[in-house]
Order: sequence, then C-alpha cells, then structure tokens
Amino acid sequence: MASIGTGRVCMKISGREAGKYCVVLKDMGKDKENKSFVLITGPKPLTGVKRRRCNIDHLEAMEYMIDINPEANDQDVIDAMDKAGLITKLGLKRPSAAAMKVEQKKEEKPKVQEELKEKKDEKKKKQEKK
Amino acid sequence: MKIVKKRLPSGRIVLKEKKKRPSKTRCAGCGKELHGVPRLVASRMKKLSKSKKRPYRPYGGYLCSSCMRELFKRKVRA
Repeated sequence: MASIGTGRVCMKISGREAGKYCVVLKDMGKDKENKSFVLITGPKPLTGVKRRRCNIDHLEAMEYMIDINPEANDQDVIDAMDKAGLITKLGLKRPSAAAMKVEQKKEEKPKVQEELKEKKDEKKKKQEKK
Repeated sequence: MKIVKKRLPSGRIVLKEKKKRPSKTRCAGCGKELHGVPRLVASRMKKLSKSKKRPYRPYGGYLCSSCMRELFKRKVRA
C-alpha cells in the first residue's frame, strides 16, 4: 500500500463519506493530540468530502499522487486534480462556478460564529469582574 | 403461531396465540447482527423516520461497517 502524505489521493472507507475520493493536504502527526491524523479535503464541491481532520485508519490510499501545497485552497486542489487528469479518470464532474461560490460562503459563516463567541466570552468576563 | 398460557386477573388460565416478531436484520456479507436497525413489524417501521431505520452511511442497514470497509478497500486495490 502506498504511503499517505501530502498530495495522495485516497478513498474514505468509513462513516457517511465512505466510498468517496479525497486528497490528503498535510500530516497532523506532529502534535501529540493529532497522532495518526491527517488533514483531508474532497474538495466538497467535487467529491462531497469536506475539509476536515481524519484518522489514517479511515483512509485507503490509491496509486495516484497530485502536486499540491499543504496550504492549498479547494480551487487549487481541483485545478491540480484536473491537471493530473484524475477528474475524468475517477468519473467525477467538475463543479460549476456557482457551486464553488456557495461553498465559499459556507466557509465564511463559521467566522461569524467565532466573533459571536468572542463577544460572549467578553460578556462573561465582565460579569465575573462585577 | 406459538401458543402460550396466560393467567387472567380472575385466576383463569387461557391459551393465547403469540405474535411472531420479525427476525433480526443481519449483514449480507458476514451474517453478523446489524446494529442500529430496529426489530419492528413493517407497519411500525413505516412510521419511523429514515434516519431511525438504518445507519447513515453507504450500505447502511445492509452490510456491517467492517464488511463495507472491506468492499471499498477491494474496490480501490482492484
């Protein structure tokens, strides 16, 4: 079996995303907490696997490798997949520009929640001071 | 149908027919009992929501998780 590193194309073999293709972005094994974890992405508009941390046991490596940066965004990954000819090989469909925009908006949403959380924390601190 | 004896509140013992329960759902690959699939009559199953009837993954409610993994591993390696 091929090793799992940056740029490796894998299939998820467990959970609700099982049977879907994904690309490994980077190894997260440097932290003790994230031992045996990697960061993966489908990307979601292309294969349905969202950008997330994943256990290596839940991945099955394929023989394909693409040339990407560990910090690459979803659009870069899709371009790299297309360049390697994997989109047609794996029978995938290149997402439309509209679909990509929707995904981008979804990614922006959590930031708002973070801001709200910060505000809540500030309120709590103030109350504690009182 | 299985016949069972039942004692009524009056003390009388009557014979009653026991209804059959549906069999446990089993994995099509290894024959293990499947988790997360309720053992209910079809009419009751109809009333449940889709997510309560089987695990939410490919082949959920048909293959067990380990058999599904093996299936996808074979698919990748072939």
